[in-house]
Amino acid sequence: MDPSEVEFLAEKELVKIIPNFNLDKLYLIGGDLGPFNPGLPLYVPVWLALNLKQRQKCRVVPPDWMDVEKLEEMRELERNAATFTPAPCPYYMELTKLLLNHASDNIPKADEIRTLVKDIWDTRIAKLRLSADSFITQQEAHAKLDNLTLMEINTIRGFLLESLNCMYKLRSNLQPGSSKGPLADY
Amino acid sequence: MPCERKPMRYGHSEGHTEVCFDDTGKFIVTCGHDGDVRIWENLDDDDPRFITVGEKAYSLALKNGKLVTANSSNAVQIHTFPDGEPDGILTRFTTNATHVTFNTSGSKVAAGSSDFLVKVVEVSDSSQQKTLRGHEAPVLSVTFDPKGDFLASASCDGSVVVWNIEEQAQVISWPVLQKTNDVSNAKSLCRLAWQPRTAKFLAVPVETKVHLYERESWNHVTTLSDDLLNQPINVAAWSPCGNFLAAASVGGFIIVWDIESKLCVERQKHEKGFTVCGLAWHPSGSQIAYTDTEGCLGLLEGFRASVPTTNTPKVPAGKPERGYEDLFDDEDDDQVMDEGCSDANSPAKKAASGVQADEEDDDDFVIPATGRVKNRGAILDDENSLDSGSLKFGRPKFGDDNDDDADSAVMTAGPLPATLRPVYEGPQPTPPQKAFQPGSTPVHLTHRFMMWNSVGTVRGYNDEQDNAIDVEFHDTAVHHAMHLTNSLGHTMTDVSQEAVLLACASTNELASKIHCLHFSSWDTNKEWMVDLPQGEDARALCLGQGWAAVATSTLIVRLFTIGGVQREIFSLPGAVVCMAGHGEQLLIVYHRGTGFDGEQALGVQLLQFGRKRRQIINGEPLPISQKSYLCWLGFTAEGTPCYVDSEGVVRMLNRSLGFTWTPVCNTRDTCKSKSDHYWVVGVHENPQQLRCIPCKGSRYPPTLPRPAVAILPFKLPLCQTTTEKGQMEEQFWRSVLFHNHYSFLSSSGYEVDEVGQSQSQKEQQELLMKMFALSCKLEREFRCVELAELMTQNVVTLAIRYASKSRRMALAQRLSEIALEKASQIQEEEQEDVTEYSDIRQTSSGRSSYDQTDVREKHHRRQTLEDERSQELEEEEGEREIESEDGVEAPKRLNPFAKVPGSSLEQATPLCE
Repeated sequence: MDPSEVEFLAEKELVKIIPNFNLDKLYLIGGDLGPFNPGLPLYVPVWLALNLKQRQKCRVVPPDWMDVEKLEEMRELERNAATFTPAPCPYYMELTKLLLNHASDNIPKADEIRTLVKDIWDTRIAKLRLSADSFITQQEAHAKLDNLTLMEINTIRGFLLESLNCMYKLRSNLQPGSSKGPLADY
Repeated sequence: MPCERKPMRYGHSEGHTEVCFDDTGKFIVTCGHDGDVRIWENLDDDDPRFITVGEKAYSLALKNGKLVTANSSNAVQIHTFPDGEPDGILTRFTTNATHVTFNTSGSKVAAGSSDFLVKVVEVSDSSQQKTLRGHEAPVLSVTFDPKGDFLASASCDGSVVVWNIEEQAQVISWPVLQKTNDVSNAKSLCRLAWQPRTAKFLAVPVETKVHLYERESWNHVTTLSDDLLNQPINVAAWSPCGNFLAAASVGGFIIVWDIESKLCVERQKHEKGFTVCGLAWHPSGSQIAYTDTEGCLGLLEGFRASVPTTNTPKVPAGKPERGYEDLFDDEDDDQVMDEGCSDANSPAKKAASGVQADEEDDDDFVIPATGRVKNRGAILDDENSLDSGSLKFGRPKFGDDNDDDADSAVMTAGPLPATLRPVYEGPQPTPPQKAFQPGSTPVHLTHRFMMWNSVGTVRGYNDEQDNAIDVEFHDTAVHHAMHLTNSLGHTMTDVSQEAVLLACASTNELASKIHCLHFSSWDTNKEWMVDLPQGEDARALCLGQGWAAVATSTLIVRLFTIGGVQREIFSLPGAVVCMAGHGEQLLIVYHRGTGFDGEQALGVQLLQFGRKRRQIINGEPLPISQKSYLCWLGFTAEGTPCYVDSEGVVRMLNRSLGFTWTPVCNTRDTCKSKSDHYWVVGVHENPQQLRCIPCKGSRYPPTLPRPAVAILPFKLPLCQTTTEKGQMEEQFWRSVLFHNHYSFLSSSGYEVDEVGQSQSQKEQQELLMKMFALSCKLEREFRCVELAELMTQNVVTLAIRYASKSRRMALAQRLSEIALEKASQIQEEEQEDVTEYSDIRQTSSGRSSYDQTDVREKHHRRQTLEDERSQELEEEEGEREIESEDGVEAPKRLNPFAKVPGSSLEQATPLCE
């Protein structure tokens, strides 16, 4: 899966906007949106929010978790915990990137938030690498990781599967009597 | 009461709080359960500086720029004041300290702790510690002897102990308190207070009274009490001069006694009756700050005014108490003077009750020193004519024990300095609320909303860098945002789809000005300005469709066209409070008279300018909640007047019930905390929305971060809305009320959203049918019939069917009678037909609102008529009524307030790119 595909999925998340135009309800396949009243906040998918924002038709209200204090707390929690703590939002990385790139003027302390989210991301990815490492060195058959987000799984998937395959090949060649060819990928 | 109780404000989160003033009296300093120490410049300081001293702060003391706090990490620490830099830790306990206090010079700090110890520490050298051991339970409070020898402490073991600091030994112990095991369980915090300067008395709150113990002799000399005090006293505090003692109780009462007369000079109750846990006098003695266990901060101001002062020539009038302090400084000298000058008094005095003898001595030696002999003749009469009961408040400070005394003539013939004022205890007039613009935040703020309405927001900035106004429109299709420099100092504004109206008060040189930015004008002049006549100030203004109105200080309302032509002017019966405009309607609220005991006496006028100009509400009283004031006034988007009072109740005009006001929502019901409010910005009837901004801990929102609008539902305060019946009744009447605007709109000639109207009819009839079924189930047949009366004819037929199906023949019989009646009624009305049309409003207000169906049916008929004849119609205003008698009417005007779905589709279709 491509990161852009994950981002595409994240764009379905709802975000609060304050429109500055008047429009009746929109009837879409995915559900109804609106009505849009100027000045009245409502929830729309991120893709629509960004589209409107780019055309200066709305203001974006940052989600609750996109707040310096809350993120600092989460960062501390993440750093102190050995396992993964629940992410602020299943698409936190994607949303941060999308909203900060396109609507940073509506988000107070955008730079700090960017740094904090990157910190959280780095901590989590480091944990993920560490656990992958111990998974391999201990030659476990299975492992369970909670609270991973799609984007995080996606970043490690390609590398982990490929390397497991590789190692399997190497091991099966090493073992005596294994004359069978490489197994099909799993 | 002469002293003014300022409204409480949010200070800290819930929990124990304490308050003190800094040495100069410039700042109020509070600490609270949230671990912050806040430094308030005054009570209205919305952005106090704060110092975080720990997770929780239990107590604070401030002197000589050192702020000592007891925090949850069991330490007593110093911060510099006002910078808030940590300045080391004074001492530590094994558990948290409960109370810290400075001595008079600020050189030592005493701290009592939950680990039973009291420590006295040198501020300059924290290694110089003295520990006072002996309490057998957590220490409640500590206080220094102003002369520095002793220290008093109260403890949960029930004792109040006086220690000799030097010897670290108990001098005396009084077992007067109730025993408890912990500070949190103690009924009272028992904050002791030692009389400053003279150090004569130690005040100990015991249950509902305050005991005064005399220094050195340690005798219990007197007890101060008050009828109002029926709950334990938490805190006692001496005024800086030592003449007054303030005490605050668990029940929220704050009482101030004059120590010489032992009479209560001031009684105040906490506005919510919460437990007062912190009390502090302003160094000048003019204010008392207090905090409660809910974390709120309050202030009593102008305290001096309630105390009869002597106006001694040598003491500045503002600070007479200080004058007396000096007099107390040297007792011996005074005593000599006393004996020299007022020998005659002494025997009489000694005859007075023994306990009070001491204070009376005080009285005496003051007298010669004040040396005022002038206007006593008048005073004499006054005093004799007043009975002691009426002397409760505003008692003179001196000579008060002599009322019944045979020697009183002698006494008062002596230089009695106080003037006796007859005390009025009846209803007090309320200061009338000031004029305001609905939807604006207070004028004194540097960054404020000057207007937030359904069209846009106007923000005013008035700080060092800039004096400017930002106008922003919710719908950018109306106009782009504007930035104006506010060189004239405009304070009032309104914004509509057509224009922005601004006004400023007059200054010494400049007249009051009205400034209109008529941005929708099609010519090139987008602006006009008008000067008001000399001595006339704009107080309130509003914009309607095509007109502007300004109410002025001379009780005149001036109307202008939106282009700047002067129109009618008329006088108001009282000073304007606020105005609101919508379409052709102008709503004015003014002071009808003087309100008493916190009530405002407001009157309201509703004018309509359309083709027929008329006054719809002629200065009737505006009902608001008890002891509240008006907060917001406006129209719903559909054009029904409504308003909000300070208790958060939203009321709306019920045009179908003789122009009465119906409460439709109480915003305070949805508030989580007592200090939270909703700031209303708009009301919509269809869909039913109350648009407001949630404000945490304040009445109005800050401009930054940009507040977001929330939507509250309406709820009529009907009884038993938890039951199914109550719910349906509420829904039904709410639906009826919120669809009144249809008949109003059609009566004033606007086009009506037929679909919405029939939908609301359907909804109401469905609710009636549901209620009918419910009553049937409950065997309430009489109720069924009553409900059927409200139904339309075809719904009655349904009801008959339902009744006969559920085998209630008697009910069905009665219902069919009703159905017949209704049918004949309709026939009659058909004959009368459209003659009634021009008076639909009156019809629908005269009868109950279920007549709306008929109105609607007539409407349909008219519509067809109109279609047939629309070609031949040439409407003229004067002839309109005659025409309508022929069943002909003017083509419907476009209703500018109706929601036209997708009206701005061209500019704002987000998806067709």
